[in-house]
Amino acid sequence: MSDAIPISLTINGERRQAFVQPWHTLLHVLRDVLHLTGTKRGCNQGICGACSVMVDGEVVRGCLTIAANCEDCAVTTIEGLARGTALSPVQQAFLEVGAVQCGYCMPGMIVAATALLKRTPKPSEDQIREGLSGNLCRCSGYVKVIRAVQRASEWSDA
Amino acid sequence: MKFYRPTSLKQALKVLAGDEDARCLAGGATLVAMMNANLIAPSALVSLAAVKGLAGIAKRKNGTVAIGAMTRHQAVADSDAFDRGQAMVKEAASHIGHPAIRNMGTIGGSISHADPAADYPTALVAVDATVTVESAAGKREIEASRFFTGYLETALAPGEIVVAVSIPATPSGAASAYEKYARVQGDFATVAAAAVVALERGVCSFARIAVGGCAPTPVRVAAAEAKLVGSKLEPAAVAAAAAAIAAACDPIDDFRGSSAYRLAILPTIVARAVATARQRAEQRPAEQRP
Amino acid sequence: MQIAETFAVAAPIERVWQFITDPTAVAPCVPGCQSYEVLGPKTYKATVKIALGPIKTTFNVIVDLTAEQPPTFLASTARGEEGGKASTLTAQNELRLAADGPSATTVSYTSEVALVGRLGKFGLGIMKKKAKTIGEEFAVAFRARVEAAEANRGGTTSEVLSTDVPQAGA
Repeated sequence: MSDAIPISLTINGERRQAFVQPWHTLLHVLRDVLHLTGTKRGCNQGICGACSVMVDGEVVRGCLTIAANCEDCAVTTIEGLARGTALSPVQQAFLEVGAVQCGYCMPGMIVAATALLKRTPKPSEDQIREGLSGNLCRCSGYVKVIRAVQRASEWSDA
Repeated sequence: MKFYRPTSLKQALKVLAGDEDARCLAGGATLVAMMNANLIAPSALVSLAAVKGLAGIAKRKNGTVAIGAMTRHQAVADSDAFDRGQAMVKEAASHIGHPAIRNMGTIGGSISHADPAADYPTALVAVDATVTVESAAGKREIEASRFFTGYLETALAPGEIVVAVSIPATPSGAASAYEKYARVQGDFATVAAAAVVALERGVCSFARIAVGGCAPTPVRVAAAEAKLVGSKLEPAAVAAAAAAIAAACDPIDDFRGSSAYRLAILPTIVARAVATARQRAEQRPAEQRP
Repeated sequence: MQIAETFAVAAPIERVWQFITDPTAVAPCVPGCQSYEVLGPKTYKATVKIALGPIKTTFNVIVDLTAEQPPTFLASTARGEEGGKASTLTAQNELRLAADGPSATTVSYTSEVALVGRLGKFGLGIMKKKAKTIGEEFAVAFRARVEAAEANRGGTTSEVLSTDVPQAGA
């Protein structure tokens, strides 16, 4: 049995610590150790995107990120997008447009959309499709998801 | 399982030399997925995240582009270091997985996994890339076509890791294309083709083609390339080249396509790659769309 | 998945039959076979190491001979599992021998293989190619063994062969 490794990292602006095993993923630490269960486990293979989070400003797969490798990283999860009770523009747009059905893909989808708009503030529809291509949704057919990202991009500060 | 996060390559290679079941952790896109699927259980993870000097793209004076092993796919896809003949390497990188995967995955990790349906192996074989590998015993260079030795198998000896990939300059006037057919966007290719061509007054003076997803390694057939050089890249010549490549292929049957289907579409994928490369070669650089 | 292989052996059909029904002759020809044990007149078990790139594993396989019509037909079933039952494998095998003149035999077999568990999920296409490779390597090794014995005409199986695979619990 390996010795647990202490890690210290910033999650949604707060310094957090955990003890992890070498094989623990960031997804496991977020959900099962730190109880930030907004991020979801879908395929656990990096394909579905339900586990998408931002690490050091880039969208990545939580299920493929080794937690022990995240010392001093800055992680943003779905829980970190709102400011108090004020939803982020992307979250607000998803609500207003009615893009959420069962909701399971949405934390990953919204994080990916947030990352997309950071990189490309006024994306074309093709760029939206490309930017969200790593997030699978079994409910919506993506129509309103795309519309939500377009709505958010019309507002000035996503 | 142990976890190491060395700050120098020397330290990393020392750990790997001492434990043949230790594995490098680069981006984790492949390694961690396989661990999650219970396919492998390394004795130790040796993270390369803190090793300096392994990431970056540098263009040398002679036109060679050197890519550090830890360079992320998105960085390659965004780079403007490549000449038009080399550019299909960045085109291939832009096809890998999805944005999140491109932010995590590295060229070193990808080629070490050596899946013939992946994007880098096919592109690197077509462009005559050289892979630099290093172990505690020293450094050596391996031609891309000899680096991939079988399905998920490479010429890496125990304790050796990829440290860089070098893309040689292509002839003046050459252009390239990476054509990928996948049933689902972002998946591994069912069949992919990478082509580099140059033309002089409408006659092909240089041709390189490699095909992925059709054999245990990327397939490149010199005789196929010879059929194109001296031709005007007319359909009959391209079809003959594709047939020569198909004869060297041995595709698997899986959910991405049956063996028969892959062989059936191979000529079309090769033709499209050659046609796109040719179209780009015939445009003057100033006219080229990004 | 179905695997089929046909190969020729330069030996009389009776000789080939003798070899193919003898686990001490067959086991060393299976690539990756680490050990074998005869459990009964129609049953034997073997451990076989398989590698697929970075994935390495050992299967414990039990083979039961289910039907035979000497010297032309042999049917068997194989059940195998990885340690911890991470994957299980079942195969229905049929083997046919046909004399091709007095001193040559055509061997053909078909195998219906089912693989479930972690390796089954991984990608059946690759496993099928791996199984084909194993079959091809077996054919080469088996043919060499039988033809060497034939060249040393007069030697019996046990005289000619060295059991270079450890036999467990004889």
